[in-house]
Amino acid sequence: MAGERMLECRGLRRSFGDLVAVDGVGFHIDPGEAYGLLGPNAAGKTTTISMIAGLLEPDDGEVVVAGQPMTTHARRAKDAIGYVPQDLAIYPDLSARENLVFFARLYGMPTAEAKRRSQEVLELTGLADRAGDQTKKYSGGMKRRLNIGIGLLHRPKLLILDEPTAGVDPQSRNAILESVESLSGAGMAVLYTTHYMEEAERLCDRVGIIDHGKLIAEGTRKELVSLVGERDHVRMLATGELARAAAALAARPWVHEASTPGEGIDLVVDDARGNLPAILSDAAAAGAAIKSVEVTEPDLEAVFLHLTGRALRD
Amino acid sequence: MKALWIAATNLRRMFRVRTNYFFVFVFPMALILVLGATFGGSSTPRLGVVAQRSGPLGAALVRQLERTPHLRVVPVADPAALLTQVQRGSLAAGLVIPARYDAAIRAGQGVTIRYMARPDQSSQQLGETVRGAVAQQAALLGAARFAVTERSASSFSAALAAAARVSPAVPSVAVTETTAGTALFSRTLGQFDQGAWTELLLFLFLISLTGAVALIETRRLGLSRRMLATPTSPGTVIAGETLGRVLIAVIQAVVIILGSALLFGVNWGQPAGVAAVVILFALVGAGAGILLGTLFRTEQQAVGVSLLLGLGLGALGGCMVPLEVFSPTMKQVAHLTPQAWANDAFTQLVGHHAAITAILPQLGILAAYAAVLLALATWRLRRVLVA
Amino acid sequence: MRAAVLICLKDLRARLRDRSALLLGIVVPLGLAFIFNSIFSGISGNSKVISLGVVSLDRGAVAQQFTGQVLGAVGKSGLIAVHREHTVAGARALVARGTLNAVIVIPADFSARVQANRPASMQVIGNVDAPISAGIARSIAERYASDLNRIRLSVATVVHGRSQGTPSPGTIRALAARAAAAAAPVAVSDVSAKSKELDQKSFFAAGMAVFFLFFTVQFGVTSLLEERNDGTLARLLAAPISRASILGGKLLTSFLLGVISMTVLVVATSLLFGASWGNPAGVAVLVVAAVLAAMGIMALIATLARNAEQAANWQAVVAVVLGLLGGTFFPVSQAPGILSRLTLVAPQAWFLRGLGDLRGGDLSAVWVPALAMLGIAVVVGGIAMTRLRHMAEV
Repeated sequence: MAGERMLECRGLRRSFGDLVAVDGVGFHIDPGEAYGLLGPNAAGKTTTISMIAGLLEPDDGEVVVAGQPMTTHARRAKDAIGYVPQDLAIYPDLSARENLVFFARLYGMPTAEAKRRSQEVLELTGLADRAGDQTKKYSGGMKRRLNIGIGLLHRPKLLILDEPTAGVDPQSRNAILESVESLSGAGMAVLYTTHYMEEAERLCDRVGIIDHGKLIAEGTRKELVSLVGERDHVRMLATGELARAAAALAARPWVHEASTPGEGIDLVVDDARGNLPAILSDAAAAGAAIKSVEVTEPDLEAVFLHLTGRALRD
Repeated sequence: MKALWIAATNLRRMFRVRTNYFFVFVFPMALILVLGATFGGSSTPRLGVVAQRSGPLGAALVRQLERTPHLRVVPVADPAALLTQVQRGSLAAGLVIPARYDAAIRAGQGVTIRYMARPDQSSQQLGETVRGAVAQQAALLGAARFAVTERSASSFSAALAAAARVSPAVPSVAVTETTAGTALFSRTLGQFDQGAWTELLLFLFLISLTGAVALIETRRLGLSRRMLATPTSPGTVIAGETLGRVLIAVIQAVVIILGSALLFGVNWGQPAGVAAVVILFALVGAGAGILLGTLFRTEQQAVGVSLLLGLGLGALGGCMVPLEVFSPTMKQVAHLTPQAWANDAFTQLVGHHAAITAILPQLGILAAYAAVLLALATWRLRRVLVA
Repeated sequence: MRAAVLICLKDLRARLRDRSALLLGIVVPLGLAFIFNSIFSGISGNSKVISLGVVSLDRGAVAQQFTGQVLGAVGKSGLIAVHREHTVAGARALVARGTLNAVIVIPADFSARVQANRPASMQVIGNVDAPISAGIARSIAERYASDLNRIRLSVATVVHGRSQGTPSPGTIRALAARAAAAAAPVAVSDVSAKSKELDQKSFFAAGMAVFFLFFTVQFGVTSLLEERNDGTLARLLAAPISRASILGGKLLTSFLLGVISMTVLVVATSLLFGASWGNPAGVAVLVVAAVLAAMGIMALIATLARNAEQAANWQAVVAVVLGLLGGTFFPVSQAPGILSRLTLVAPQAWFLRGLGDLRGGDLSAVWVPALAMLGIAVVVGGIAMTRLRHMAEV
């Protein structure tokens, strides 16, 4: 059905006592789309996800998954979702296979199918040869893989991953990102929360930025970056005739700003990479001795800084 | 159906920890054995007797004591050991029949036997029983001695033989014993019977309460959230967790009941009645365990509180000392616990061979406990799950 | 040494913070001792005066001798209270209700039958649930009956021995009088044995305290396994401190937790519900010995386990079995033969015996139990120490 959305949520609101955790969040995900929910810790990401996964009733607003309204009792809507919690929600004293078969049964698969599908997931996650061991004997990376594998058991239309890389070593993290990329590439819609910019940039077609329970911006990376302007920053550490060099550079049409904050020159330019040789030669010609050059292209970090006045991780 | 899977996972996790087999099955059975061997049947006082080299008449006195009802004779090697055991309370009292007891009596001398008792009253009171037995034997000895004094026999041994010969023909003064009142304790209970059902109740409840620990772990690990994210309603999750705890209790009960019946010959009474008590009591335990699991945050707290409640309520409910010996006030207080009602039901079933129809009041009260606790537990669990 | 103290202080702080040591070491044993004590204080185990009723329907001399002299002497001991009742039905009702434990009934023709050398009987009616008291009542009646039988048998034996035909009633009366006056051949003298049993309050307090002691001391040694798991053991080993001071710190933690919790329990049970533990110096010796024995056993189990969870499970099993054997819940020393000797494997048994002996004797009474516990500590703890060295490795 063309145009059917995988997830549609409108005006989600939830408070805990006096604390308003989520305040009017609404967004949608199309089939096959990867959507990143980006925000600092305690921004309301997990509360939003809990309402989408039917773990928490919203005070206000609604969630529709694959055309089905989501509530804490909704069966069809939950059937469409694969939920991967932030915590390692696996039984430590059961084996990987027992964990998988158990949850497969909770997704309503008959025993034979539950077993077959568990085996497939074991192979997919590379746990097949240790499938019979109790999971408490697994390494951290293996537990993470199983944690995601459980969410994939029933071939969900929408996979929800709640900070799957929090506290994970770089190698396991890369493996997780690769598997999400391939799932998304295979047409599964993905909702991914993180407070890592680079993950959102790498994985997601669209990103929503959430802060203090509100969705403050949303769009493709390009759309979001355009909020801060698609201009690059060049910062040079230099000595010598700084003021002259800045004035010379300011004369170029593709330089929009030039300033000399103390020990160097700061520029706002179009296409910093293409114009870098010209910048360097202009500066040298004006009598500035350049020690180092740093080029910053606008990214989600900058977007966040621009929108909130705060860095993402502080 | 899904609830069954959640229940089965509960079971599987419980029995994956091997030491749980010990606490669920082995330890209760060991307690039944030890309690039965130590206090089993009745609390007959144990009288330690030293009768080394006291001769045939000494042996006859020991036999006389052994025939005395409400008394168990325990042979002890020497007076020093006897004194220690009496002092430490492992014997109710002690009796020392002197060496050469036989020879002294035959020589016409007066003999003194020593009765050792602690200052407590039960130890002292037993002295009357010992004196009664000694007097019975002394009837024959006194007659023989009198015959010697009256010169109607040539020797003490001849006089003793004559007295024994005459004795059956002499009309005797006898004492008859009857009882009055309705028995609180059944006289038909076997050595292990009461210990078996009280320990069963104690441990069913204790193990059910530790279900709280499993529940807290399930929540802490985020497993409850994960279950609720599947198309499984909170009601099904709660039903599954409850069923799991009930199944564990029922399996425990079946193993203990069959095991103790086969190994120690414990009589359990009418199967339908026993099944009804066990299932209702398991439901009570499951409700209490789950309720506890929703009230505490950490597993350590839950362990401490379940030990306190399990053993405390068990003791109060008559699982350590039978309710029959409680004071009337304490008995009323005791009946605030489900254990007391279950104990009453077993007393009827085992002690009085009652059928299930005779324990309907107790079953009704247990069912009410189960209903209230399960309702509270469900309400609380729903709140903590769907918070 | 400084390092050991620092490690110990860190562990103690952590234990106080997670409250589990406080809960298992103090709150639970105190709570259980309190519950048991309040439940069982209504149940008088060893101190109960027997209420004995007597109904004499006979005004004859034989009956009067029994109710007057025999029961009079019995009542004087203070162990048995004798109550005169007038009707059998009334007395029976009192027995049925449990007001009287038993009643002795002397029928109207008792004296006449005894004097006529005819069969006679007294009747004992006992409360169905007080068999021991009923047995004692019966023994009292039987003692008198036996004395009457002795006189009859004495006369019969002499008459039979003389074989001079039937003697005259006068001769028989004279014989009977002489027989009645004859001294009994066997006398029973009372020896009082000083009690070495703990009273109920003290028993529950001491039993619960030493039972949970085994759980309290495990926090120290087992934390070595936890530190290995958390990776902090590697950090400790990397620091410029000796392995001995790491072990020392852990053992010191166990010891202090054990001694502190026992001290709190001794003081609290004495103040809150009047448990009497006995001479403080003797109690201190026994407590220290028990703590060391418990540490040795729990440490050995920790060294045999693969991880902290397994150690905790096994330690719980051992603590519970030894607690049961050691008589912390009920006195297993009354068990038959082998079982009662088996109890001495448990330090708990020695601890309780030590407290009992201390109560029945002087301070020197604690040395044997204390040395037994120290022996267990040295042997079991020694094995544990040789194994512990390997545990302090990553």
